[in-house]
Amino acid sequence: MLFLLELLISLLIVLGGFFVLVGSIGLIKLGDLMPRLHAPTKATTLGLGGMLIGSMLFFLGVEGKLSIHEVLISLFLFITAPVSAHFMAKAWLHLNAKHRPKLPPTGSNRGWSTYDASHAPEPGWPTSDDPDRPAQ
Amino acid sequence: MSLALIVMLPFLGALLPGLMMRSGRNACAITTGSVTFLAFSLLLTHAPAVLRGEVIQVSWQWLPALGLNVSFFLDGLGLLFAGLILGIGLLIITYSRFYLSKADSMGAFYTYLLLFQGAMVGIVLSDNILLLLVFWELTSLSSFLLIGFWRHLPEGRQGARMALAVTGGGGLFLIAGMLLLGHAAGSYELSVILERRELIQASPLYLPALLLILGGCFAKSAQFPFHFWLPHAMAAPTPVSAYLHSATMVKAGIFLMARLWPVLAGTEAWTWLVASAGLVTMILGAWIALFKDDLKGLLAYSTVSHLGLVTLLLGLGSPMAAVAAVFHIINHATFKAALFLIAGIVDHEVGTRDVKRLGGLLMLMPITATLGMVAAASMAGMPFLNGFLSKEMMLEQAWHHGWLAPGGWLTPLLATLGAVFSVAYSFRFIVHVFFGPQRDDYPAKPHDPPAGLWLPPALLVALVVLIGLFPETFAGDLVRTASAAAMGAVAPEFHLSIWHGVTPALGMSVVAVAVGLLLLWRYPGVRGLWARGPHPEAKVMFDGVIAALVRFSRALVLNLHNGSLQRYLAILVGAAVALGFAAYLGADGAARAPGGRETLAAGPVVVVAWLLLMVSTLMTVIMHRDRFVALILIGVVGVIVSIGFVYLSAPDLALTQIAVEVGTVILILLALYFLPKVTPVESGLGRCVRDGALAVLGGVGVGVLSWAVMTRDFSSISTYYLEHAKPLGGGANVVNVILVDFRGFDTFGEIIVLGIAALAIFALLEGALHGRLAPRLRNWTPDYAHAADRHPMMMVVATRVMLPLALMVGVYIFLRGHNMPGGGFIAGLVVAIALIMQYMASGFGWAEKRMPVDYHAMIGGGVLVAAATGIGAMVLDYPFLTSAFDYFSLPIVGKFELTSAMPFDIGVFLTVVGAVMLALAQLSKMGQRLNQHAVNTQPMDYNPSADRQADATREN
Repeated sequence: MLFLLELLISLLIVLGGFFVLVGSIGLIKLGDLMPRLHAPTKATTLGLGGMLIGSMLFFLGVEGKLSIHEVLISLFLFITAPVSAHFMAKAWLHLNAKHRPKLPPTGSNRGWSTYDASHAPEPGWPTSDDPDRPAQ
Repeated sequence: MSLALIVMLPFLGALLPGLMMRSGRNACAITTGSVTFLAFSLLLTHAPAVLRGEVIQVSWQWLPALGLNVSFFLDGLGLLFAGLILGIGLLIITYSRFYLSKADSMGAFYTYLLLFQGAMVGIVLSDNILLLLVFWELTSLSSFLLIGFWRHLPEGRQGARMALAVTGGGGLFLIAGMLLLGHAAGSYELSVILERRELIQASPLYLPALLLILGGCFAKSAQFPFHFWLPHAMAAPTPVSAYLHSATMVKAGIFLMARLWPVLAGTEAWTWLVASAGLVTMILGAWIALFKDDLKGLLAYSTVSHLGLVTLLLGLGSPMAAVAAVFHIINHATFKAALFLIAGIVDHEVGTRDVKRLGGLLMLMPITATLGMVAAASMAGMPFLNGFLSKEMMLEQAWHHGWLAPGGWLTPLLATLGAVFSVAYSFRFIVHVFFGPQRDDYPAKPHDPPAGLWLPPALLVALVVLIGLFPETFAGDLVRTASAAAMGAVAPEFHLSIWHGVTPALGMSVVAVAVGLLLLWRYPGVRGLWARGPHPEAKVMFDGVIAALVRFSRALVLNLHNGSLQRYLAILVGAAVALGFAAYLGADGAARAPGGRETLAAGPVVVVAWLLLMVSTLMTVIMHRDRFVALILIGVVGVIVSIGFVYLSAPDLALTQIAVEVGTVILILLALYFLPKVTPVESGLGRCVRDGALAVLGGVGVGVLSWAVMTRDFSSISTYYLEHAKPLGGGANVVNVILVDFRGFDTFGEIIVLGIAALAIFALLEGALHGRLAPRLRNWTPDYAHAADRHPMMMVVATRVMLPLALMVGVYIFLRGHNMPGGGFIAGLVVAIALIMQYMASGFGWAEKRMPVDYHAMIGGGVLVAAATGIGAMVLDYPFLTSAFDYFSLPIVGKFELTSAMPFDIGVFLTVVGAVMLALAQLSKMGQRLNQHAVNTQPMDYNPSADRQADATREN
């Protein structure tokens, strides 16, 4: 039983370590900021998550007490990682305004929020009073 | 009690003239006069006891640890001087009422005069020499105000500055001298010092103390070589000259020499220094006075000369000479004050006080002329007037003591020479002003002044005559008690009388009068002789010295302190490095070698963190021009340092470090928004090399020092804290107990500094918002594009979710602080950061509407709460900030501890939050002003749920 538990914990830690490694390699290898963002935010989150679950299982099964530190750590990671990724992406969009025409349509009557004022439709797009506005 | 009241009355009364001025000049003068009269009457109530030989003392403790006590004592010498100060003060106040013109601000004048009076009375009644020094400096300051009273006159301003520079500089000497004296005597109480003559004169500190004290006294009493300031102080209104420069302030130095006479006098050094300075001053002053055309200039130099006479007498060191000195102090004060007042009348009524334009006033101003002639005759030392008596005594002493060698001829000769000049200038005053033909070119039509102007000098002249005729009746007792007090012993038997028989002194007097009159008779010839001689102009030299000093200071300061922060840092670090290396290289070999303590093994994690630290520090140096990158790198350094604290078991420091790091990075980021993003290249290669070398040397020095310290076993103060934190402070967290208890006063000071720093940030940015920089701020275009959604949904939601959590963490950290890592400071930072996140998410304006807190009040409140905690201990009769703790128990909660340090920590908490938020608020206001956005009404710019609702309503 203990062996199985230890195996599980080891697997989770190795898995976590693997994803952290992948995230780090991705951070170096990927050329542009947008793809590069995926490496730390997605892979590292998953990797750390694996390790944290492993740690929780260890304390619960081997030491015999419930540790909730890991829950808190994951909670904070899940809150901060997307927000920071979001801001980095926004900054990139503004620093590289040349990409703006290449952006796909948002599919709504509002433009890309970071480029266009929230309630003013993107230029070139029909306004909300326009009868020709595309169907939702 | 009433002694202290005598001193305090003029100070308290100084508030009145300004108020009473609204009721007119008479009311103002009467009020001022009443204050002085009250103090004078109080003094007189003590006079009978003092004349019986009693000494009246009062004392309160002020700063006992420094030896500074509020203690006053009144003996004969004090009574004499206080009587002169208050009595003549009363006359001066009366005279000033009629002397000052309507254009002069009488309220201010009387206020200065009373301040000066209080300071003077303080000097002569102080029992504590430190207290005396305080009053001494006050006289320098208040006399500066009085001399420069006519501030529209350049001579007034320059004279006041010179007087302040000389007497204030002398005051610095005196402070040093008095401290040495007190140290040598083992007490700062005069009454104790006066009894320790042998101890003081045997001390190696005696000579330096003597030199410094004499420096102060000579500067104040205008003794050679400091005599030059007094004539220039004559630019003051005449009542001021009469008061300060004849009767009181210039006598302060004499007073101190007389006061300290029992302990300082009697040595060879004293006699040489004091007697020779006095003799030189007496002759020099009298000689110059003979050729002064300005009446007040003549009187000023004559004052210098007479002060020299008193100094000479004090310097001779014999008891009878001291009696003569005391007697001459009284006599000089009466006739010289009268003469100044008369010179003021002449100036007032004739319109000039230039001797060459005067003459023949005897018939035009009979009262003034009579008074002037009597007073001047006394100054010349003519019989039946008081000046004669003390001058006889002086000549007698000079004859007996013969200073260079007892019985020698030089001192009597020089003393007679001084008397010759004195007779000559006194009669010149009489003859050239009042006699001679009447002229028709007086600037104004001369006539006798109103009684208010001539009565005060008349009173003084009456004293001159009465003391001159009946010296024993009018002055005998006072002189006896005062000189006994000055000597610290019973005065020698003497009897003041006019006729002492045919003595050498009488012969010297006769010679003096004869030669003096001869000099006046041949005045044009003598003046021609004088005109051919050199005339060193003291003012030119003084100005030259001051200008050279200013040039020197400017050169020194402007080269060291030219506004370049790099230079300041280079000097500071360079000095520290030089001192450190000098100490290191000067130490012997054993001290230089590393200690023998076992070092800890460095694990791989530690090595990695250390490498990271090194690399990020190096990167900061290399990339510091890109400010954003530099900030991020500094953040990395901060994080590694806090990890280091965790590794070295300092969780409190780690928590503080990480919180400070986050707060700083956020605030700097906000500030960087308004600043250039790249640092321009300003330093040349030379400066880079210099700074780099200094930095490397400093780093190596600190590294070696740390290595030396950490490889040795040493006991530090921390052992004490570790042992006593729980039993004495009631907390297991030693760091927190140190902060709020052991070193609570430091913390109290630190939160005040923090509050001040926040207010400084506020003030500086307020300048950018509303001051001269405001237009530049308005015209500034941001150098980065703005996101259209300023309040993104993700940020808003995330911070909202986090807020209660973060606040709870703050409260938790605060509450556990006393026993576990945490405390008010860290909690304050955590809460401030949580709040900053709200402000960043939805905008400052939006958040401020929901949480209207005055951060100024928060900072002040925090400091007040902390102070109130400390004062609470004082209310219970413990020293400031003594803390108490006890354990209580409640149902459900269980046993818990309450400490008085808790409210103190609340004060810390409030100040920290207030300070951080105030800086943030001000930066946000700048941003708001810049972009001219209206404050948003919605928490976020793009709210999908609200929009969906809106879309739905529209579609329906």
